[in-house]
Amino acid sequence: MPEMARRGGGGGGGGGGGDARNWDEEGYRKSILRERELHYRTVFRTAFAPSLNPNPETLIVASSDGSLASYSISACISSVTQLMHFNRKIDEKPVPDFLLVEPLSVIQGHKGPAYDLKFYHVGEEYLLLSCGDDGRIRGWKWTEELNSDLSMGMQGNDLKPLLDLVNPQHEGPWGALSPIPENNAIAVNEQEGSIYSAAGDACAYCWDVETRKRKMVFRGHSDYLHCITARKSSNQIITGSEDGTTRIWDCRSGSCTRIIYPEKNRKLKEHSWVSSVAIDSSESWLACGTGSGLSVWSLLSCECIFSSDSCAPVQDLLFQDNQVLTVGSEPVLTRFGIYGVVLSQIKCAPQSAFSVSLHPSGVVAVGGYGGLVDVISEFGSHLCTFCCQGMD
Amino acid sequence: MAEAPSGLRILLHQHVKERAPVHVSSHADRDRVLEVFRNVILKTEPPENFALQAVQEAIKPQRQTVLVQDENQSLENALRALLQELVSAAVQSGERTMQYGQSIDDGENIRGQIPRLLDIVLYLCERGHVEGGMIFQLLEDLTEMSTMKDCKEVFAYIESKQDILGKQELFGRGKLVMLRTCNQLLRRLSKANDVVFCGRILMFLAHFFPLSERSAVNIKGVFNTSNETKYEKDAPVGVAVDFNFYKTFWSLQEHFSNPASTTLAPSKWQKFASNLRVVLDTFEAQPLGDDNGNVNNLEQEEATFSIKYLTSSKLMGLELKDPSFRRHILLQCLILFDYLKAPGKNDKDGPLESMKEEIKTCEERVKKLLEIIPPKGKEFLESIEHILEREKNWVWWKRDGCPAFEKQAIEKKIGQDGTKKRKPRWRLGNKELSQLWKWADQNPNALTDPQRVHMPSVAKYWKPLADDMDDSAGIEAEFHHKNNRVYCWKGLRFSARQDLEGFSRFTDHGIEGVVPPELLPPDVRSKFHAKPSEKTKRAKKEEVKVAAAQSEDNQVAMPVAETDGGGNGTELEDGVAPMDSDAAAVEESQKQSPEMDSGHEAGQSEAETEAEAENRSDIKVEAVTGAVREVDPDTDPNPLSKDSHGGDRENP
Repeated sequence: MPEMARRGGGGGGGGGGGDARNWDEEGYRKSILRERELHYRTVFRTAFAPSLNPNPETLIVASSDGSLASYSISACISSVTQLMHFNRKIDEKPVPDFLLVEPLSVIQGHKGPAYDLKFYHVGEEYLLLSCGDDGRIRGWKWTEELNSDLSMGMQGNDLKPLLDLVNPQHEGPWGALSPIPENNAIAVNEQEGSIYSAAGDACAYCWDVETRKRKMVFRGHSDYLHCITARKSSNQIITGSEDGTTRIWDCRSGSCTRIIYPEKNRKLKEHSWVSSVAIDSSESWLACGTGSGLSVWSLLSCECIFSSDSCAPVQDLLFQDNQVLTVGSEPVLTRFGIYGVVLSQIKCAPQSAFSVSLHPSGVVAVGGYGGLVDVISEFGSHLCTFCCQGMD
Repeated sequence: MAEAPSGLRILLHQHVKERAPVHVSSHADRDRVLEVFRNVILKTEPPENFALQAVQEAIKPQRQTVLVQDENQSLENALRALLQELVSAAVQSGERTMQYGQSIDDGENIRGQIPRLLDIVLYLCERGHVEGGMIFQLLEDLTEMSTMKDCKEVFAYIESKQDILGKQELFGRGKLVMLRTCNQLLRRLSKANDVVFCGRILMFLAHFFPLSERSAVNIKGVFNTSNETKYEKDAPVGVAVDFNFYKTFWSLQEHFSNPASTTLAPSKWQKFASNLRVVLDTFEAQPLGDDNGNVNNLEQEEATFSIKYLTSSKLMGLELKDPSFRRHILLQCLILFDYLKAPGKNDKDGPLESMKEEIKTCEERVKKLLEIIPPKGKEFLESIEHILEREKNWVWWKRDGCPAFEKQAIEKKIGQDGTKKRKPRWRLGNKELSQLWKWADQNPNALTDPQRVHMPSVAKYWKPLADDMDDSAGIEAEFHHKNNRVYCWKGLRFSARQDLEGFSRFTDHGIEGVVPPELLPPDVRSKFHAKPSEKTKRAKKEEVKVAAAQSEDNQVAMPVAETDGGGNGTELEDGVAPMDSDAAAVEESQKQSPEMDSGHEAGQSEAETEAEAENRSDIKVEAVTGAVREVDPDTDPNPLSKDSHGGDRENP
């Protein structure tokens, strides 16, 4: 009942609180389902939309219901501040009640979870690329998406993707086709006009944006890929896989130039994986997030700089100048110095975070379990924390 | 110039004699005073040589050494006029006031005229020749007339004379003027630019006034709410900053500037606590590394000391990385917590329980944060804690109404009648021990005193038991002396020392056997003593004779023998007994011996001696102690040899 009272408005006219005469069974059911969905929704990727404003303006969120939603940060801040003290007071509660925020716009990007999104710069335009469990890479015109003034989700589906790439199915004996492998991550290289995808069939694919054709297949990993990043300066890509290795591939030849075992020096027998890879702006440092922590490598000498053992698996990481920001299966954002010193640990809302993204101004967004997004300012304070509403 | 004083002195004495009561017009008076002092300040000698004479010459006082009210006033007026004259002269000549008239004659550095004038007046005031407030008045005038630059020198003069100015008689006259002077100076100074001078003035005030001086105490505990920290209320355009945090952060200052309001309304406290938690979270999330706060950084800060931090939102990011900025904020928190924790005027004002809990947790967090802020965080926290601890004492002092710290008055009272009441010192710990120690000295006759408590004779001692043993008395077992263990034990010891024969009967007849037979009624006696064997009668008789002849010796010697054998078995108590008690026993027995002997001899009967003899042989069987065995006639048939034997034994 209290659920009802709280969420009644969103549940489609659940109606007058405890008034049993106009009981809306359907609305109540919906609201319960919604509550559950919301609770188990996961944000897989957050990204700051490109803009000229030095302040972070818009945040795009890809979540487990396949939606791509954009949120205005300033709107979030102003709506969150009213509740900030309230939230702070019940800080000790394991799952604090965070504010549901209405998105600026939302599109149903994928069937099944959307795993990654990237912006692709073409001329004046920005292409919003997303990939997901359905094995597709889709591209939307960012301005169109943003301006599609929609009333909660319905129109979002109408928006036609500019780009739609589907992973190939593997052909077995007697013409049997495998299911379409999912895309776990994408990377872009605008100079080459390429999109790279890390797929669930242990292959990475290179797609040409113009022709929308597959240019290259990178085979070599023995298990599905988690992550991919492009090293534009040397036209290479770096992939991390469930098999516990990071491979560096040459895009021209499609061959693997180096295999890095982030876990190699570890005595542990148990199998680990590479969940995330990132390179710094000079493209000479590589950070790999693994099942047991973080290891940073120099790409020039191919030596491990440091390897940090955190008890929680790292699920996403990125470089900020010469620091590494990591998130993982614990509710903290950890900042490492380049030599492995933990500089700071900022508590963040999601119990397990799958995505960390950085705005040039120093603002960091962390997304994860519970559909929660925590936007952290450059001071380390919480700019705003909200829960994504997603699709209906 | 050197001649002038002597000439003047003669003149002065004449004048005083002739013209004491004469009154002249005040203008003429003043001119004369001015004239005299103008001359006097040119002298280089110390003021005690001429100051009093100058006064006498100038004022022509009614009394030789002390001026009365009017005279004081006219002298003061004249001197103030002179001071003004000197200052304006100095200004005109472009010299520093305190150096005006300074000459470096004969290679000797002569002080300026104004300091000399001040010296003279100070001397007069100190000696009580003139009213003590005069010097303070002149100093106030001087500081008011001088520029800030000159004031520094004037103040240096004040500081140099602090000891004299602070003397009880002068201080009482001039403390208010001095306070006014100093406050006036402080008001004229810039708090930001003249920090050192301000500090000097404050230091002077702190030394000049007693520690418990209330005038500077903020008795009511009013907060300087006008010290407002302004910060931006609207987010700046085009700058990326977490404006909410910025506002949260600086809003704390409102609470710091007026802590009283924070405690009054619980909602305000809640707001403050939640805001503080946000700030502490942020501090904790981003600990400062060593490179952020190296020594250079701090040194630079000392050079650019500023009273308030700027609150521009653009600076927020830099300020958060600044260790000393953090320290300031955290220290503010600690000060506030200290205030909040302090009990109010009545107990009701104190913080609520829930609030106390919150304060405690916050305080711990703040302290932890302070500890990890790089340059010497631990030391910093320690000194802060120490200072805050001291501060608490002041809070209590204020709460108790600022009592004076000097306890002289009370000490004096004690001193007055303290001569008698003074606590005596005991040579040995306490009164009782000391008395015991001195007992012998104070009571030389104690030992010869006939009234003193003696050790009773054996017969006397056993009398009560003997009475009880008379069946006709019909004593109940409960009250029977033989059942009194202490009595029996004492008696046994007693007998063992003085009546060995009786003691030896203990083996056969128990305690009742020890009772000397002569005390007992015949029928009872026969019960214990009727068994003498007839056959040894003769032999024993001889022995008894010897024994009787020797009885005196025996009694004396006995204790020695016992002491000797003290190491063994049953006689242990005796061995342990202190020597003087033994000596006393010897003495006792010697004293008593005639009586005893007579008693012994008188009551000696056949039966007795026989019993004795028998018991002697029994002793051997019993083998009580070596010493006792020594006495045994069987092994040593000649009792006379016993003594020497005992002596031998003592020697090795």
